[in-house]
Amino acid sequence: MNSEVNQPLSSIRALELSEIWAGPFCGSLLGDMGAEVIKIESIQRIGRGPINPPANAGGYPDNDPGKEPWNRQSNFNAINRNKKSLTLDLKTQPGLNSFKDLVSQSDVVFCNYARTVMENFGLSYEQVRKIKPDIIYMLMPGYGNDGPYANYRSMGMAIDAITGHSYLRGYPDMDQSSNSLVHHPDAVSATNGVMALTSALVYRAKTGKGQFIDMSQAESFMTHLGEIYLENQMTSSIRKRRGNRHPDFAPQGVYKCSGDDNWIAISIKTDKEWYQLKAIIGDNSLEDTDLDSLEARLQNHDHLDATINEWASTRDRYDALTLLQAAGITSGVVIDCGADSYADPHLNERNFFQIVDHPAAGLYPMTGPIFKFGSDQGRITHNPAPCLGQDNEHILEELLGYSRNTINKFKTDEIIGTVPLPGSDMGGSRRVAKLRKENSKD
Amino acid sequence: MPYGALEEIIVLDLSDRLAASFCAKTLGLYGCEVIKVEPLSGDPLRKWTNSNPNNQSGDSPLFLHLNAGKKSITINLDAVEGQNILAALMKVCDVVVETQKPGHLDKIGLAYNQIKKSNPSIIFTSITPYGQTGPYKNFHYDELTLFAMTGAMYREGLPEREPLRYSGEIAQYFAGNAAAAATTAALFKRTLTGQGDWLDISIQECMAGHPHQIGRRAPFIYAGEPDLRSEPRTSAAGAREPYAVGTFRCKDGYFSFLPLGPRMWPNIAKMIDREDLMVNPKYEDTIKRSENQEELEAIFQAWLDDKTREEIFRAVQAAGVPGSPILPPEEVHKNEQFHERGFFQNVDHPNGQTLRMTGDPFRFSNAPTSSLKAAPQLGQNTNEVLRKLLEFSDDQMEMLAMENII
Repeated sequence: MNSEVNQPLSSIRALELSEIWAGPFCGSLLGDMGAEVIKIESIQRIGRGPINPPANAGGYPDNDPGKEPWNRQSNFNAINRNKKSLTLDLKTQPGLNSFKDLVSQSDVVFCNYARTVMENFGLSYEQVRKIKPDIIYMLMPGYGNDGPYANYRSMGMAIDAITGHSYLRGYPDMDQSSNSLVHHPDAVSATNGVMALTSALVYRAKTGKGQFIDMSQAESFMTHLGEIYLENQMTSSIRKRRGNRHPDFAPQGVYKCSGDDNWIAISIKTDKEWYQLKAIIGDNSLEDTDLDSLEARLQNHDHLDATINEWASTRDRYDALTLLQAAGITSGVVIDCGADSYADPHLNERNFFQIVDHPAAGLYPMTGPIFKFGSDQGRITHNPAPCLGQDNEHILEELLGYSRNTINKFKTDEIIGTVPLPGSDMGGSRRVAKLRKENSKD
Repeated sequence: MPYGALEEIIVLDLSDRLAASFCAKTLGLYGCEVIKVEPLSGDPLRKWTNSNPNNQSGDSPLFLHLNAGKKSITINLDAVEGQNILAALMKVCDVVVETQKPGHLDKIGLAYNQIKKSNPSIIFTSITPYGQTGPYKNFHYDELTLFAMTGAMYREGLPEREPLRYSGEIAQYFAGNAAAAATTAALFKRTLTGQGDWLDISIQECMAGHPHQIGRRAPFIYAGEPDLRSEPRTSAAGAREPYAVGTFRCKDGYFSFLPLGPRMWPNIAKMIDREDLMVNPKYEDTIKRSENQEELEAIFQAWLDDKTREEIFRAVQAAGVPGSPILPPEEVHKNEQFHERGFFQNVDHPNGQTLRMTGDPFRFSNAPTSSLKAAPQLGQNTNEVLRKLLEFSDDQMEMLAMENII
């Protein structure tokens, strides 16, 4: 997708059947590294928000969903960079055949829909392998393809709960019901998915063999919590919720600075950092030499927090950060995902934001990619997320060699298209058929 | 372990922090031989943190997890002789994973641009908190302060209180995982071209470029929508069913729900055996249900009160309502699903304990599952590795040991 020919995956074509985060972000990361990623969508079932959102709905450029809201939706556009879009109605024979034609020219197929979706289309690994014997094929359901939960549906927040991470998050003085829902595990599935696919590509380059990969999103995230399960077996003490504190160090916390909802995180782990912090704050109440022992600091954590909060309250968070870092104190300002991050001098100096011209959404600075390869001169292009079906004709004509007549018939038969059918945002083809039936009665 | 895709690849793991260490571990899961290079005093993570009083071997749970299956060699890198040994190893290995302060390896002649002259196919993966360039590149960091600077912390927690970090060491693990994936892509290119590469991975950027963050940054830049902390029951993304969003108490713990929009209403009503509510005009549409949120929440809570997490889990799956039980860690490694898939493996440790450890989250059709190995003891493989890779003699190694080089 990127113009640089030298990218790690420029020889690879991958077919993505995915929505929400895990699969789409996996596709974007592959695209970032040069793979040609084709997102297989349909006008019968879209994963791009509602077709007719209210006029002032949030999440659209200038709060205007416009004539093609499905091409302007912020979440979709943020997460689907560096890929193409092809719509195919896989429930029809011609749609299915086109997919199979595409498979014969592809290296990778991956899907983050429920475990049985591909099977129901007649596109199980065994079936796809008949078309392309060395295909690398990955399914990434919540709990994997076997075991008692094999057919359980899941989302990022569900994985966060079942792996123990939710249990340990939150304010220690409140109960679990105050917790937010966190979908972080979806992102882990994306990076782990790229890991599995790229390793399978190396294996194929050496042996000529393809691969079926069954990835459990839950297990994927659990590898990021491994020490917690070990700690549980190795020690008699059960880990409790810590909030922003750490049981072995003090003071640790997030403190309010001057201005509106501005914060600084400070983490003191060594005596040296503690002495430096004392000198900077210069408050008499910290001069008690007892506080120079870690034990005393842990015991007096509330008092220390109050003193640090008082010091921070009159300071600009960035000034405080400069002061603390210069003294060798582990610290960071809390930045939001809005103005703060766009103003961050460090992210800007590293070209983290790129001006992206999206044909339906307009010109905006968008985030990422996250990798910097030296051979790329440190910059991977962020090409805009595709409009629905924008590459239909190009792929069918150039890649698959279909005639204009066939392509036109595909359009008439709604096998391909660029405008979603009514009801396609509400659960797919059954809903589309139902609405159609109702309309024909009128 | 289970999957030999990257067999014959030798990884030098120079990490002393989590992200790089996890990157190397992940490469090891796919068959790489990972050689951990430690100072004579050992990787500081061996003692991280001191909350493991019952562990006789002294190595922390974090170290045991991050280093399962690796080999350990010790080299004193403050001594020139030690640096020379490392340089010799870099000439014969395939991947270096490192986390030194930007510029440090250049000073001792061991940076990518220096090593590639003698080993053009080498891949260097540098994983640092803020990357190799920019004003923050030398900042002191840990999970708390780095997480703050990614955009992920600001929205966590309640509006009237301080922002919260996640638990665990989430940002560092995520970056390590992403780095391993990018390293493997570079290895793929190398199998085709023979050319190596240098990867500059910033933990901040990995987390700031993560779907949670980019998905919230886009509405800001599109329409000025701020990404604020919100009450847990609010319906942040539009027409959700707020009386059933978030985490709720039940008979034996807590359960999280996320019904995605009005089409979930019939599913919820059926699930809680209250189909009568569906014909009640008080609850007929999203607006009415929001107006009567408290009443509905009480009805929902009453249904939860006498159900266990297990009963609710079966009910949500049958009804098609997204949700999951909150498990404490001790229940996770005993859970039937993960047990039946063989995800946790029993591994014998030198201290005599047998521990259930997380394995590989993948099953590959072309790969049998094999067994996990324990983390190495300090310097366990020094002689073996130096003999095999650098053809050092026993005398040479004895001398180096006496001079405190290895």
